[in-house]
Amino acid sequence: MNQNVNDDEIGTSADSLDLSPRPVSPRQQRKRRPWPAIIVLLLVVATGGIVLTKFLTSAIDYYCNVDEIGAKSGCEAGRRLRIQGVVDEGSIENDGVTTKFTMSFGGESLPVTYDGDPGGIFKECIPVVVHGILTEGVFLGDRVEVKHSNDYKADNPDRVENEALTAEGTACSQ
Amino acid sequence: MNTSTSLDAPPRDRVTGTQFTRGLGILVLAGMVLLIVLGLFVSPADVNQGESVRIMYAHVPGAWLAYLAFVITGISSAAYLWKRTRSLTWDRIAGASAEVGVLFMGISLITGSLWGRITWGTYWTWDARLTTTAFLFVTYIGYLAVRGLGGTHQQRARRSAVLALLAVLEIPLVHFSVELWNTLHQEASVAGRGTDVEMDGLMLFTLFLGVIVFTLMYVWLVLHRQRSLALEDMLDDSGLDNALTARRAEASGVAR
Repeated sequence: MNQNVNDDEIGTSADSLDLSPRPVSPRQQRKRRPWPAIIVLLLVVATGGIVLTKFLTSAIDYYCNVDEIGAKSGCEAGRRLRIQGVVDEGSIENDGVTTKFTMSFGGESLPVTYDGDPGGIFKECIPVVVHGILTEGVFLGDRVEVKHSNDYKADNPDRVENEALTAEGTACSQ
Repeated sequence: MNTSTSLDAPPRDRVTGTQFTRGLGILVLAGMVLLIVLGLFVSPADVNQGESVRIMYAHVPGAWLAYLAFVITGISSAAYLWKRTRSLTWDRIAGASAEVGVLFMGISLITGSLWGRITWGTYWTWDARLTTTAFLFVTYIGYLAVRGLGGTHQQRARRSAVLALLAVLEIPLVHFSVELWNTLHQEASVAGRGTDVEMDGLMLFTLFLGVIVFTLMYVWLVLHRQRSLALEDMLDDSGLDNALTARRAEASGVAR
């Protein structure tokens, strides 16, 4: 046993025994109140709730396909929609202020008017998702997202058919 | 207990590195250099995405390794909960793996966000894949917070193990979200339903190299972190031992 403890400090008899609470070491104190962990946990629960709400309101079926408008519930005209289709070949008109194009999916076609220049890798023959409102047969888009197809080909400048292949695209030939 | 260990020469059981992890670390560094050379310079640009396709070599391995890390957290947690294999080492492997998993998931989210800006035209959107991934990320941050709630090592191990077994169920939801719902995110490129991979040969090779390098890095990180967690637990225990020794000294003082 460790005997080099000061006798006066701890008391040598029951009368002089020091019963006052001893100061807790900082390490023990931290263990007793894990505030950082509790705060992180509360933030996590709050964020999880927000993410879950987003999932239920927005993420399930991110978009309607062009041929689903009016056919599938949640895809009616007059409300905010996200519509997916393939940009028709040669349909893009850009006058500097607005961009007009048509997009098709499943045999149906839809004219789109978009204020501004779509970002991303927007071009004809690629699938896009447009956010906006459908009014009188024209889809007024305020956001265009380019849906990346799932093929990865090397961009080889020496390949002669490269341009033709890009222009035809896999999407337009379907 | 109060043995004075000199700081400049820690004993062998007080360090986290071994001959094996040192060799592994060198392998990871060499592999990373090769991955950077192949990913940034040798592999071709994509016909549609251009140079941004190179983000894939960090994004996809990051996501896969996060899945792997969380699955290993789940397995280790099950091993802890099963009486025959109950050992705090399993608990520490689970914790270490979850930490590394959160790190890889973060890498995947950040690189994916940058790629999304270039390709889709937006950093973030609430489609099913992105939303479920965010939920998975947040869940494991919560798991790590639960590990930090205090109590004995056994309490920590038991409550975090139960949580880990629930959290691992989210992984199939994240992986198959692109097939279950309409998503902006593309379907799985390599481990997808249709097994014909639509990818250039060198791109695919670079991607697999990325997965291998990230896997080795994961092993290195988990081994070290697991050992440093063991040292942390030892320090906690020694703090308790010191307190017990002090109380015993008082008791013997009273008895005299």
